[in-house]
Amino acid sequence: MAQQNSGDPTASPPPTRRLDEDWLAVVVGLVLVALALLGVIPTGLVP
Amino acid sequence: MTASTGTTRRSPLLWALLGVVAVLGLSAVVRLLSKAVPTWTEGTGLEGVGAAVEYPVYAILLGLLGNAVLGATGLRDRLSGGFRTEFFIKTGLVLLGASINLSVIAQAAGPALAQSVLLISIVFGFAWWLGGRAGLDDKLRALLASAVAICGVSAAIAAAGAVQAKKEQLAYSASLVIVFALPSIFLVPWLAGLIGLPAAVAGAWIGGNIDTTAAVTAAGALAGEQQLQIATIVKVTQNALLGVVAVALTAYFALRVERTTASTEPVARQLWRRFPKFVLGFLATSVIATVYLAAVPAAEGKAAIGVVNDLRTWFLILAFVSIGLEFRVSALRRAGWRPVGVFAAATVVNLLAALGLAALLFWNFSA
Repeated sequence: MAQQNSGDPTASPPPTRRLDEDWLAVVVGLVLVALALLGVIPTGLVP
Repeated sequence: MTASTGTTRRSPLLWALLGVVAVLGLSAVVRLLSKAVPTWTEGTGLEGVGAAVEYPVYAILLGLLGNAVLGATGLRDRLSGGFRTEFFIKTGLVLLGASINLSVIAQAAGPALAQSVLLISIVFGFAWWLGGRAGLDDKLRALLASAVAICGVSAAIAAAGAVQAKKEQLAYSASLVIVFALPSIFLVPWLAGLIGLPAAVAGAWIGGNIDTTAAVTAAGALAGEQQLQIATIVKVTQNALLGVVAVALTAYFALRVERTTASTEPVARQLWRRFPKFVLGFLATSVIATVYLAAVPAAEGKAAIGVVNDLRTWFLILAFVSIGLEFRVSALRRAGWRPVGVFAAATVVNLLAALGLAALLFWNFSA
């Protein structure tokens, strides 16, 4: 947990935000594509 | 953990969530305007304008308006954690992959790679040389050259890590990218139409010339669907080459400028660490959608891809609104005008070289 590491000088640095956002974009994009292609998000639902 | 510590830690997250709410609210207005204005102006003298103005224009203008209002009320800096331009644009591009048939990517990959390698070499080399002639700090000219030659803010961030640049130098480079990208969003598609470029050439010009990925997508969306697809393929290819340039810069600065020992991290690992992972998502959704469309009836496939396209438009609107909200000119004033001159000259070289290469490599492109 971040709170436990905050005062520890030997703790490894947190991963960069850019990398997190890259992977998050991939996951969110793939999940949304899967939901649309499987018909979970029906036509007309997205305004 | 005490209550006060918890409050301190939660506050930035709460402000960021409020920032996301602000972006979503403005995006909803953009979506409403882009659908309603053509209807409202129908049969009036403004019918042509109402039909021609598309969502990137509303998104950027409303973002800039929100920027001014939030800046005046002192809320902009607190909410800025929610202005996730990079995340929104990358998710939008992963979704965009689903509307591009894999055969288009396969056909465009060769010319896109050739254009990207040549363009990065020409523009980076010119900006680096001119920055040296203008007496710019080596780290700053590495950032500016990367930003103008590769992919804007992402490239500046990667280069800053590679050469250990100062925070102010990164902020300055990122501001320059946005200042130059904003007019390009409107100027390049307009020029492409004026010259009468074929769709693929216009797309390759937009993708090769405009620095930041979000701005490329906005310009491509204004120019047309095929232009957007080719512009995205070219820009994604440039993004993929970012790691190569960052690793080369790391080695150059370690061995020639700082004269320290080079990183002991294997090159393959450095390349993977710096590789923009959203490119994999973009390719994956293209493969999935291509296979899916071959397997289902045409009407069913078209409806499902239509839903993905609506979602894509939402993420692009979120990104364009965030561009407007993040725009600042204050960082530029502090660094003086010499770097602006270098960046402007490199932008002109980029504009001309990208046009020449796009015409050379994409004139006979058909998919």
